[in-house]
Amino acid sequence: MPLDTSTYALAHLRLDGRRWSELRRIHGQISTQAAADGSAYFEQGNTKILCTVTGPQEPKRGVEVEMNVAAFSGMDRKKRARGDKRVQEMQYTIASAFQSTIFTHLYPHSTITLNLHVLSQDGSLLACALNAATLALIDAGMPMSDYVSACTVASAPSSDQTLDEQDPLLDLNGLEEQELPFLTVGTSGEEGKVLVLLMETRVQVARLEAMVSVGLDGCRQIRGILDGVVREHGRKVLESRVS
Amino acid sequence: MAPYTGIPLSPAELQYLHTSLSQDPPIRPDGRSPTQFRPLVAETDILPSTNGSARICFPDGTEAMVGVKAEVEKTRGGGQNVKGEVDGKTGEDEEMGDDSNRSARSGRDWGEWVEIGIEIPGMRDDDALPIFLSAMLTEALLADTGLKDTLWINSRFHWRLYIDILLLSQPLSYPLPLLSLTTHLALLSTRLPSLISERDEDPLFNDDWEASTPLYPRSKADGSSAQKPPITLLVMSVGGMIYFDPSADELAVADAVVALSVTSTSTTDADALPLKLVALRTIDPPSRLTAGGVSNVLNTTSTTGTASTGTTSTGGVLAIRENDQGQSVWRPPRGGVKRAVVGRMIKAVVEKGGVGMEVMAGLAGVET
Repeated sequence: MPLDTSTYALAHLRLDGRRWSELRRIHGQISTQAAADGSAYFEQGNTKILCTVTGPQEPKRGVEVEMNVAAFSGMDRKKRARGDKRVQEMQYTIASAFQSTIFTHLYPHSTITLNLHVLSQDGSLLACALNAATLALIDAGMPMSDYVSACTVASAPSSDQTLDEQDPLLDLNGLEEQELPFLTVGTSGEEGKVLVLLMETRVQVARLEAMVSVGLDGCRQIRGILDGVVREHGRKVLESRVS
Repeated sequence: MAPYTGIPLSPAELQYLHTSLSQDPPIRPDGRSPTQFRPLVAETDILPSTNGSARICFPDGTEAMVGVKAEVEKTRGGGQNVKGEVDGKTGEDEEMGDDSNRSARSGRDWGEWVEIGIEIPGMRDDDALPIFLSAMLTEALLADTGLKDTLWINSRFHWRLYIDILLLSQPLSYPLPLLSLTTHLALLSTRLPSLISERDEDPLFNDDWEASTPLYPRSKADGSSAQKPPITLLVMSVGGMIYFDPSADELAVADAVVALSVTSTSTTDADALPLKLVALRTIDPPSRLTAGGVSNVLNTTSTTGTASTGTTSTGGVLAIRENDQGQSVWRPPRGGVKRAVVGRMIKAVVEKGGVGMEVMAGLAGVET
């Protein structure tokens, strides 16, 4: 079993050697595509997502999100059907998260289109998509109230059912997502205003508070990483202009 | 007012481009020579979960990514419709029915062993463009019968290749050469796990990825040049001049646009051509969608004396236009392309030291 209780309790190390509060290797780049209005590439471990922004365009539809999961993204090659419900739900979640963040009143009668390409998936798909979309929108110069950062949190199994034995795990990979109950939390701003909270599995309600607070802290860390990516890009642009 | 057809050039600009491209020596808008390609950015092995992958960015901003995955599949034998999918990496298999007949080594229907899927943002899977592009790329790939031998495992199993092509940007110009070059690069970097089992027993593979064999090996044991995957190039002609890697502006004034698919021939004969043509398809040039200009004689809105006072009959207008023949104002091209021009296009691609070899050598350089 990937998260065999006995081995976890021994050293408190997950399968990939991380501790409960460690994020995976996170890497982000903005302005990756010259042809798009805004573009970004974001990786969380082996989950790699490319996002492009086009707009504003004529018909008024607010924020539109189109997510395209590549057939080679998983372990098995699987071509998704057009109206896949899971993908549609994720598209709707992302669209409504940004609808409240982007200052759409500055672009009346317009549509802003986000195209997400999932190149490789290994857990935390929705969270990685929200982060990639934030970077792409910043690259496009969209006025937003703050960064939208997201991450996943799970509740590790413990033999003792009491509260003080629980261990929320931060930033899950694919194997952990299949085995454990987890939630995705997306926040905006330094103080962590929650925009997205999605949970599809079941967990004891007493554990929920700890999971959400660990998630908020994880989102704050990711917000710092996103900010670093944007500042680094800005520094490069300024340097190339000055010299 | 002419309807907007996606080409934001006026008749005067079109005429200007057409004239500069039909001169001898020709002048291209960006100063390239007729056989010079624009610089591109290419990288391989970027996706960890695929057998092979590549990404190419063209300088006009369009980029494409290709991922190749291979799965072991049971060969359909003797009319029985037995088909199963097996995870090639671990070598586990499902139960074998007693009725699995031996199929001949020739592997009929091996064309089904390769599946190409194209995703273009904003287009559905059953739109004309993705279907047409995937048909052209599949046709070029299946022309190489050596690929069948590489995919054959034993008489009961074979590899099935899934080539998934993603066009990551909006299709600003005709995406065929971009997709074809990216597919070529991805196939060059594709590796298959090496076989441990013998003869006709259930296939078992080496878990060590370092021991994997490339789908298109660099060099063959007998010293002949290795087989390479095909490439499809877009060539256009204006008057008698031919141009490679046309930009969107140049395509807007093309007389004819042709897609040429070539693949390498594995031969040690020094005199033989290094490449052979496997497909040649004409593409409808976007210049036919443009609107013709209005000549001075017909310009009834001008207030100078050259305009006729009375309205000319429609027959008269037609006669004036036909006699003009696009000399004074732009007229969308009509008719086909001369056979001699097509012949020169083919020769320029397949000859020794020609454009085809240059492109393949350039892409092979990305691997190392």
